[in-house]
Amino acid sequence: MNAQEQILIALQDLDLMLKETTDSKEQFTKLGFETSGVDELRRARTVLLNKLETTHAQHYERMQQRYGRAVTPVTSDMCLGCFAKVPPVYRSTTYETKVRMCQSCGRILYFP
Amino acid sequence: MNGPELLRLFDPKLCLFDLVGTTKDDILSEIVTRVAPPGSPNYRLVLEMLRNREQLGSTAVVKGVAFPHGRSLAVSKLMAVFGRSAAGVRFDSMDGEPSHLFFVLLAPPQDRANQYLPALGRLVEMIQDDRLRDRLMTVNTYEDFAAVIQGDLPV
Repeated sequence: MNAQEQILIALQDLDLMLKETTDSKEQFTKLGFETSGVDELRRARTVLLNKLETTHAQHYERMQQRYGRAVTPVTSDMCLGCFAKVPPVYRSTTYETKVRMCQSCGRILYFP
Repeated sequence: MNGPELLRLFDPKLCLFDLVGTTKDDILSEIVTRVAPPGSPNYRLVLEMLRNREQLGSTAVVKGVAFPHGRSLAVSKLMAVFGRSAAGVRFDSMDGEPSHLFFVLLAPPQDRANQYLPALGRLVEMIQDDRLRDRLMTVNTYEDFAAVIQGDLPV
């Protein structure tokens, strides 16, 4: 996994946390969990976004807006976002330094 | 979620009875070290996610117990880790007391069975029992830990 991919995944995790905090706020509060640091998380998000190359940052935001989740895992050479086949060559060393995207839906691919 | 279902989330190798960390970050790193190889991308991602969760608000909610939790793409299935620090660690708990027991709950973004929040809720609910907390402070094997979680061992 290259550095840009790692930032994209961290960003996706952070966005998921922000969304879940909003969606399940009542549930978390009921369990006794404090969720007052949303502004800190938003700041952390900006820091991560600024570490990305502009094209990747823009693509991430576009995919996030379109699908709700910009990054999706690949299992059995299949994009779990749209279930399209992912070229096996994506796993080769040639692509290790690149941010890989689904040729069908455009989501950013994560290879666990 | 009942005791046996909850217990299934705990890998026996991930019951850490002797945490040695002295700070919140030490403890999180120590636990994540057992989940993913130190320095690996997954290690960094899970650790960063847990640190972010702590930024959102401390997960130390009950007397001496913390529940670091969250979802990450670096996690492939819902899993739980138990950790214990005899000395206790300042975890920014609401009562200001050090935390001794740590229940870490990690989930993938897609949790098809939707067990993540119910599991977290069950853990929080279960740990309200003073006797159960005391018992968890003394167990030293996975078998005893399992018996307490399943309610088989008198607390």
